[in-house]
Amino acid sequence: MEGIVLALFICLVLALVTKYLSVPAIPFYILAGLLLGKAGLGLVTSDVISHFFSEMGLIFLLFFMGLGLKIERIAANRSAVLTSGIIDLNVNMFIGFAASYLLGFTIVESLIVASAFYISSTAMAVTSLIENRKLMLKEADTIIWLMVFEDLVLIILLALISAGDQNLIIFAVKILFVLGILYALAHYGKEFLISILDRDDELPILFTFAAVLTTASFSMYLGVPETMMVIALGAAFATTDPDAFEQHARPFKDVFLVVFFVFFGVTIDLTGGADWFVIGAICILAIVSKLISGILTGIFIHGSALSGIEIWGNTIGRGEFSIALAVLYGSPVVGTTIAAMVIVTSIVGSFMAKYSTSLRRGIVGLGRRSAPPRRIHTKH
Amino acid sequence: MALRSLNLPGVGTKYEFVTDKGDTVAIFFTKTGSIQMYTLQQGCHTPSAAEMTPVEARRLGNILTGAIIEADQESVEIAFSALADLRITLHTYIIPKAIAGKTIEDLQIRAKTGTTVIAVSRHNMNIINPSPSFVFETGDAALVIGETDQLKSFERELMVD
Repeated sequence: MEGIVLALFICLVLALVTKYLSVPAIPFYILAGLLLGKAGLGLVTSDVISHFFSEMGLIFLLFFMGLGLKIERIAANRSAVLTSGIIDLNVNMFIGFAASYLLGFTIVESLIVASAFYISSTAMAVTSLIENRKLMLKEADTIIWLMVFEDLVLIILLALISAGDQNLIIFAVKILFVLGILYALAHYGKEFLISILDRDDELPILFTFAAVLTTASFSMYLGVPETMMVIALGAAFATTDPDAFEQHARPFKDVFLVVFFVFFGVTIDLTGGADWFVIGAICILAIVSKLISGILTGIFIHGSALSGIEIWGNTIGRGEFSIALAVLYGSPVVGTTIAAMVIVTSIVGSFMAKYSTSLRRGIVGLGRRSAPPRRIHTKH
Repeated sequence: MALRSLNLPGVGTKYEFVTDKGDTVAIFFTKTGSIQMYTLQQGCHTPSAAEMTPVEARRLGNILTGAIIEADQESVEIAFSALADLRITLHTYIIPKAIAGKTIEDLQIRAKTGTTVIAVSRHNMNIINPSPSFVFETGDAALVIGETDQLKSFERELMVD
């Protein structure tokens, strides 16, 4: 218990400092965990309580993501979302998988590393667009929809990875059964839900907490991935009053997610055989691979490779979802690799997002200088 | 001028319009609570941006609707296009010494100027729809409603030191 308090206090200081410097906090939470835990000073060890808190963090993160998924709006933007999404998925999944497999991971491990490698941090991308005042750029829309697409892919990945060697038909039937219950509740219970959310007492927040936890434990009981089901719960609730649910779920998400990040760092075990060459290669490739997909997206959607630089700058950072995959399915070696990738890419990403506009200008300037000067000769 | 509004997942709501001269203005109400305004001059590639708190954004809104804002006096003009383009203005005034101690009835505000005092703010307390027997004190802030001409007459008649 003292461990959680110490970790939380350090995170509070880190949150203040990173907010002040406007850099992403996630890599620093993980570094703090690394320093405090097994890999570092050994001051904090994970126990039943921290494990429960971390699980809450993950579940609320995914519930929040579900609240933001509005299926009908994605359908309305289909063509743009699909083009950029498919480029991003193919390029990064392929590079991530090929690299991890060639560097010696097993097929299943490679799939998890590749998924974590593919999925950029939505939180970092959105914060960087807002803080660097880039919302009006035409690339901003592309980036935002790209994040939505990645979220959708994550749901499919969660289902695929957790299906494992279960009987696929029974697994699919179970999933459809839970989805059916959730949508029936949201559809037929809409007025009841809204009447609860409108109250001023403790009921709305209690209801939100209970609904998320009940869905998670009911899914575990049935043997369907609880991660996927809380996303579905969020998406179902999004049809009623998503803003109210966000407001009531935010405190849980904000606190538990910090515990989740810091204890991810705490549990990382470097004695498990961390190969620094492999880790370095994955980190560098994670940055390069988003550059390739960014430039391709820039060319296909905006007709300019320079737009790709902007897209790249804001999507380098891997974060919450990569860690979620590592925590859910990763072996210690996979966990260490993903932790390093998140730390490196999120720090590099926050710098690139800040300076991508100057970088673009620099590239344009270089292009002009190296091109033969075109002078129009006028008669004097 | 076509106004587009868009809901951006995870970010907030975006409003964008292109002026007749070809400049673009975009406003974003972000989920973090701040409001960002971007303007992009025609032919330019990089927009300039300003970030505002909700209070600052409302002030800007008041300025843009043509209201006069002074240090502690401000006014809002509302146009009701359904009521034959009725334009009505709300203005705040700080009560001067000259009329302190008098009631609304004494001053014959409605008869003389055509305006109505609809609220008075005193020591951070608001009195809504004060009665004719309401006594003004120095430093009260009165919210007065009327047409622009009537408000001018209110200033002439009552706001004299």
